[in-house]
Amino acid sequence: MTDPASQYSELYAAYAAGTLDPGYALLVETQGALREDVRRSLAVSEAAAGMLLEAEEAAPMAKGALDRVFAAIDAGAGKTPQRAAAERPEIDELEGLPEPVVKLARDAYARGGWKRPARGISRLNLDTGSNAQVELYRIQPGATVPRHTHGAQEYTLVLAGGYSDAMGSYGPGDLALKGPDDTHVPVGDEGEVCYALIIHGGLRLTGAMGVVQRLLGL
Amino acid sequence: MATELRPNYDRFAHVPQSAKPVACGCTPEAHSRYCIRNVSRGANLKATMVRTADLAQRERHASCMGRIASDQSREAFAELFEFFAPRLKSYMQRLGANESEAEELAQDVMITVWRKAEMYDSRQASVSTWIFRVARNRRIDAQRRTSRPELEPDEPMLQPAAAEQPDMAVARGQMEEKVRAEMANLPEEQLVLLQAAFYDGLSHSEIAEVYGIPLGTVKSRIRLAFARMRGGLDGPN
Repeated sequence: MTDPASQYSELYAAYAAGTLDPGYALLVETQGALREDVRRSLAVSEAAAGMLLEAEEAAPMAKGALDRVFAAIDAGAGKTPQRAAAERPEIDELEGLPEPVVKLARDAYARGGWKRPARGISRLNLDTGSNAQVELYRIQPGATVPRHTHGAQEYTLVLAGGYSDAMGSYGPGDLALKGPDDTHVPVGDEGEVCYALIIHGGLRLTGAMGVVQRLLGL
Repeated sequence: MATELRPNYDRFAHVPQSAKPVACGCTPEAHSRYCIRNVSRGANLKATMVRTADLAQRERHASCMGRIASDQSREAFAELFEFFAPRLKSYMQRLGANESEAEELAQDVMITVWRKAEMYDSRQASVSTWIFRVARNRRIDAQRRTSRPELEPDEPMLQPAAAEQPDMAVARGQMEEKVRAEMANLPEEQLVLLQAAFYDGLSHSEIAEVYGIPLGTVKSRIRLAFARMRGGLDGPN
């Protein structure tokens, strides 16, 4: 199997530098939570950026900047607000998902709960601040996602369990891409419930967001 | 080399404004210091990298973080502030913040460094990598708050990676050593491209346009440099 690390370097670079669209940044980060090779590439990117920060030419700070920072520290600025403690028991299952997804899923659940487009299929719309549509799917073993086509490219990252379609089977950490003309009928694999992160639309063809398409050879 | 790296601003005209971290209508001063389209700013990068790879400075910064975490040492903080705040300000300006925004963001990042000092683990990352992550996340947060005030600053996406197993932390530390050693050894023309990709966040095709280098050359140079930093496990393709 090809090591994706070097061919995906453009994606990790954009992620490390902070210029990747938030929806796709979530995709990269979640894949990193699932796969050591991706995690390592992200860490290499960030280490390189850290070193470049050290090499950055210094821009003089305003007079008294350090004193103002100490004053802000003394005044208690920048403290992380305490998170509301009460979690809903019925969303326990979401807590087992990769860390980058958990809070977004929790918030989406609090906003309106699961939508159920078909038997055994549930969906949450995640609000990442992206122009793209970012959804979390829950597919029960044997459940079938209705035949569908895609208005735009659609990226699917399996978080847990697995699913299969005519093209093959996908497990945790696998990233699949469907084009506008592809039709498919994914079926949840037997055993564990399948969770998948799905992103579609909102991609521009230039700049950092176009990266994903070029990486995947489109 | 010299002709190859000539800037080519006009060819940027069709790139959407949002894809340009800095609009190049910049003042001569800003252009010489921050503009991503000023290719000559990389002229001393090689020498700077060799200096930056110096272990003594890295260990000194790590010990400052330790003193902030254990003793709330203001002296140690002042030393980190003196080094990092002006560089953070440059970084923010390079990414399009104006002078006063950059000043404020740099101060904010340093406040976070104070607050979260006990989360820093010197086995996992150098101080600069850790602070870079804080700064990157702070900037993304600032951009989102402009349009999306309801988002919280502790959203998972913006957090640094979770704490790892001890043996993993050691592996991370070794990885960072490797990256630093390789960065110091890279030829200037690869370094400049790495800076554009990993630090300025330009896509390969944007880099090709800015530096007037064929896209294939950009890709192969960055791929080669990235593979070396990862530990040389990848072939040239």
